[in-house]
Amino acid sequence: MIEFRRVEVSYDERTPILKGIDLSIREGEFVAFVGTNGAGKSTTMRLINGLLKPDSGEVLIEGTPTTQLRTSDLAQRVGFLFQNPDRQICCPTVREELLFGFKAIGREDDEAERRVDEAIERFGFDGSADPFLLNRGTRQLLALASIVVLAPPVIVLDEPTTGLDFRECVKVMEIIIQLHRSGTTVIMVCHDMEVVADFAERVIVMSDGRVIDEGPTFDVLRRRRVLEEASLVPPQIMDLSLALSLMDPDLKATPIASANTLNEMQMAIEATAEHVPTDGIITVSVAEASSGAPGAQELEPVLTTVTEGVER
Amino acid sequence: MIQLKDLCFRYRESAQPVLMDVNLEIPTGSFTGITGPAGSGKSTLTYILNGIVPYCYPGDFYGEALIDGHDTCTTSLTDISRLVGSVCQDIDSQFVASIVEDEMLYGMENFGVPHDLIEERVTEALEAMDIADLRHRLIASLSGGQKQKVAIASILALKPRVLVLDEPTAELDPASSRQVFTLLQSYARSHGTTVVVVEQKIALLSEFADQLVIVDEGRIRFADAPREVLAHSEELLRLGVNCPRATTLMNRLAKADLYHGPVCTDVEEAAKAVLEVIA
Repeated sequence: MIEFRRVEVSYDERTPILKGIDLSIREGEFVAFVGTNGAGKSTTMRLINGLLKPDSGEVLIEGTPTTQLRTSDLAQRVGFLFQNPDRQICCPTVREELLFGFKAIGREDDEAERRVDEAIERFGFDGSADPFLLNRGTRQLLALASIVVLAPPVIVLDEPTTGLDFRECVKVMEIIIQLHRSGTTVIMVCHDMEVVADFAERVIVMSDGRVIDEGPTFDVLRRRRVLEEASLVPPQIMDLSLALSLMDPDLKATPIASANTLNEMQMAIEATAEHVPTDGIITVSVAEASSGAPGAQELEPVLTTVTEGVER
Repeated sequence: MIQLKDLCFRYRESAQPVLMDVNLEIPTGSFTGITGPAGSGKSTLTYILNGIVPYCYPGDFYGEALIDGHDTCTTSLTDISRLVGSVCQDIDSQFVASIVEDEMLYGMENFGVPHDLIEERVTEALEAMDIADLRHRLIASLSGGQKQKVAIASILALKPRVLVLDEPTAELDPASSRQVFTLLQSYARSHGTTVVVVEQKIALLSEFADQLVIVDEGRIRFADAPREVLAHSEELLRLGVNCPRATTLMNRLAKADLYHGPVCTDVEEAAKAVLEVIA
């Protein structure tokens, strides 16, 4: 559905940003781009929604090069959430902000009004509120809602959880995972490897303007050499399982060495400590996870606990 | 030493106080991490330390805030800013110059630093942040991590006794975040500078901070060594603060009566503890 063919971008002659990117993203996937600041992730995102055009090579959206698509057409196919919501929010009220996207494509009809009403209810907004007086997390949710309301088949999220507290992060990711489950293609740049491990089906690792690895999330996040090359640290539980395998090679064939999530690791350790047969322990890999969200099974108890905390 | 005594503050336009009954001591030369949910009062706490409250944001101020014995309500903002250097959350809004060196000179010239000391201070601050090679670069051409280090170096050149940073690594990748914390810790230890960081990345705070402060609804819920605070992972989660997962894992194993050692604050400690559990 989205394809990069030998894409190169430079901001000036001496500073190449992307150095020949080849990649493809299938319809309905949840893909995370990871890498250090300056690796080329945000530039790649801007190529997907047409904010940037390649200097050479092609970016194809459903087979059509972005150079042949009008920006307004691309905007209807690809929703883009900026890292800083304040670069996106421009209207005096929440309701007007949510309607802004429809106005931009000349669609101020009853359907648009209905969708905005739905979004206000779903996100729990006050439609008359001034967006700039909302807290950071709520502004991020508003920016996300203003994209979701247009129901684009693809959403691109540049660091959607940056600057958010844990509750806000859970709320934003809950909305995103719902969108993904309903068929939206989700492409996310994220520095938080715990979030990547919890939600992404596939990871694309970028370093110095190149794609250096890609594959199912848990597989890629276990490739220590790749992570070191990209200056990345695996999520803590995977880091722990890798560390344990190095400290005690006998553990390499046990569920402890293949545990990817907190629950898996806890069960594996408890079973080993209590000498319980480990046949019943299921290690869920991304490829096996039918939900498309490998660690999402751990989100629900977290959400429940957080919600209980709020209610108290 | 920073001392906050029975401190309450209400912004003039707010009905409710944003900080209530805050009592906190931050020893000289220590590294203190402050975290908590959005809107809990963390940033206001930093405004108290650097004098923005009450000088720029007026309101009802009760109690005392003492920086090395100087009461922030009776000390001029200029004098507070000589004691306390601040790095904003949005660093782009902090820059006034286009070249790194000019940015560093701006603060020192405003503070009247003698000319014969300026070169030494610029060099030392750039080296402390490991960015000596960026001295003549355009700030606009720098990465997020490099800009963050320039912003911190510009403040370090003023030699504040206290350095207050509001979410200094929010936009940085994990490697750059860790590097910024390592450099800050090293500078604080070698210069006796007190560092106060507001941050959501609790795993980083747990690793680097001497004291971890959890703020919720304007009150300090915990203020202790990270290991002591992280022992309360379930209560922290109810407050909306998620412990590092290695810590949560070992706390769960302790609850299941399988682990009886101290709270683990990082993966290395957890790995050693797991080997004990399964031995």
